Amino acid sequence: MSFLRIHAQPGRATSWMLSWFLFAAGITAYFYVSAERHRDNPDDRVMPTIAQMVQGFQDAALKPAEEEEVQDDAAAQGWFSRVRSSMLWKDTTATSRRFLISVALLFPAVMIGLHMAMFPYIGVFFLRFFQFFDKIVALSLLPIIFIAFGIDELSKIMLIVIGVTPTIILDTFNLSKSVPREQIVKAFTLGAGDFAITYRIIFKQIFPRVLNSIRLNLKAVMLFLFAGEMIASTDGLAYRIALLRRHMGMDTIIPYVLWVALLLFLVDLGMNLLNRKLHPWFQEI
Amino acid sequence: MASIRIQHVSVEYPLEGQGKRRILNDIDLEIERGAFVSIVGQTGCGKSTLLRLILGEESPSAGQVLVDGEARQQPGPYCGYVPQRYSLFPDKTVLDNIIFGLDVSSGGPLSLLNPARRTRLRTFREDGLRYLHHVGLHEADARKYPHQLSGGMQQRVAIAQALILKPPVLLMDEAFSALDPGTRSGMQRLIKKLWRESGTTIVFVTHNTREAVCLGTRVIALAKDISGDRGSSVALDLSVPHLDFDSGEEDLRGLIREVESAALPVPQDALPLPESKPASVYN
Repeated sequence: MSFLRIHAQPGRATSWMLSWFLFAAGITAYFYVSAERHRDNPDDRVMPTIAQMVQGFQDAALKPAEEEEVQDDAAAQGWFSRVRSSMLWKDTTATSRRFLISVALLFPAVMIGLHMAMFPYIGVFFLRFFQFFDKIVALSLLPIIFIAFGIDELSKIMLIVIGVTPTIILDTFNLSKSVPREQIVKAFTLGAGDFAITYRIIFKQIFPRVLNSIRLNLKAVMLFLFAGEMIASTDGLAYRIALLRRHMGMDTIIPYVLWVALLLFLVDLGMNLLNRKLHPWFQEI
Repeated sequence: MASIRIQHVSVEYPLEGQGKRRILNDIDLEIERGAFVSIVGQTGCGKSTLLRLILGEESPSAGQVLVDGEARQQPGPYCGYVPQRYSLFPDKTVLDNIIFGLDVSSGGPLSLLNPARRTRLRTFREDGLRYLHHVGLHEADARKYPHQLSGGMQQRVAIAQALILKPPVLLMDEAFSALDPGTRSGMQRLIKKLWRESGTTIVFVTHNTREAVCLGTRVIALAKDISGDRGSSVALDLSVPHLDFDSGEEDLRGLIREVESAALPVPQDALPLPESKPASVYN
């Protein structure tokens, strides 16, 4: 049982194998069960085979969205044009647009948290409210949001803002408060004023951590976005998944879910790389 | 004219239940311009509180603190400050840390957008490099981040960062406490040299009596009152002959003993101290 010791050091090859084991086991188990089900019932739609999923993904990525089928002569178009008029492209761009607007709206939240921490009057004004606001389950507000903001884009973005903003505000507040007091005193003695300290000392120090906090909340952003799209939308990745569910279209749903995971993973990776590039000092610490 | 006047200052903090806890009791001091004052005392006796009062970071419960004749409401460039830790901004390089004060005080809130800033920065960088050499660091260190430096090098940068603004007063709060003995001794020599060259008033808080005696032209010992809640008061205010670090043990020993015996609280109901000499409390 030496591998269960705290000082155990897995080798490079062992680490590689162990880290991929659950992926391999999951995929193998899926295809084994899928093959068994298809042997019993060749029309099984619950667990599509890999060929069915590849076909489903190709259809989604290369065939035009249903609303454009009439006007487009897809077969005659080039590959890129076919992708651009496809269902997957349209859904991805619709969801990405909402996602980016929502993430952009998190930056004012960062500013609120920063100012709450730095200026006591702003802090006491907002803190109790956001602490309470943070405890409200955003999805429970869904009916109110749809009534108040309609079922257009605004309501979906508002859902994300209400769901994630208080967390980001409080996180930024705590991060700003955790900067040692000595840094603020030192900056004052070097002639910095309140705003120079806020933006040039505190904000610059907490920003890499804030980016990490936003990264960790991306899944929550996506969750609220998906809830909004599934309930009231005419496009978007979650809308499509909800629509396909009605037809038991698992051959497209599963690739869609993997596509969403891949996109989120890439956004996370991109933000991490950006953070490393912008703040080399932070990564080394 | 006195650089710092501490006039009958007392500091009390409210206790969680009821009542107050007195930290400093009726401290009355005058620190002359250009003096090097060491403040020594046991842990928790209010040395750092006294420093925060001079900085303007805290207000006294009674009395007043005047720096250059003015009661200060918050820290400002009239006082340089070198704390024990967190003295450098981790997101800035060594050179940017040193010139931060020059840069930030050279313009208003919109100075970052001013095209003339680039020219000013070039001059500041030249100044910064001069100060970097002055504290014994090299040009190659200028681009490093604070976490890439040793503790001693970080404190050298912190001193350069504070001195580049030529503050009339420099406050150092246990600035060398976290350093190993070798580095510490080098830093002690450096600060004394810089003090002689700049003529800045230095208030140096330490719990190390030898350091206090070797550095200061004046040693102030604060002593806690353990038996009651009266807070710490000045137990000794001693002018010290200019001692060198190479001064004989005999010269130093008498002074150290005098300061330590003054700074140690001797309450009647206190527990008996161990056999070893009280110097152990002060390293």
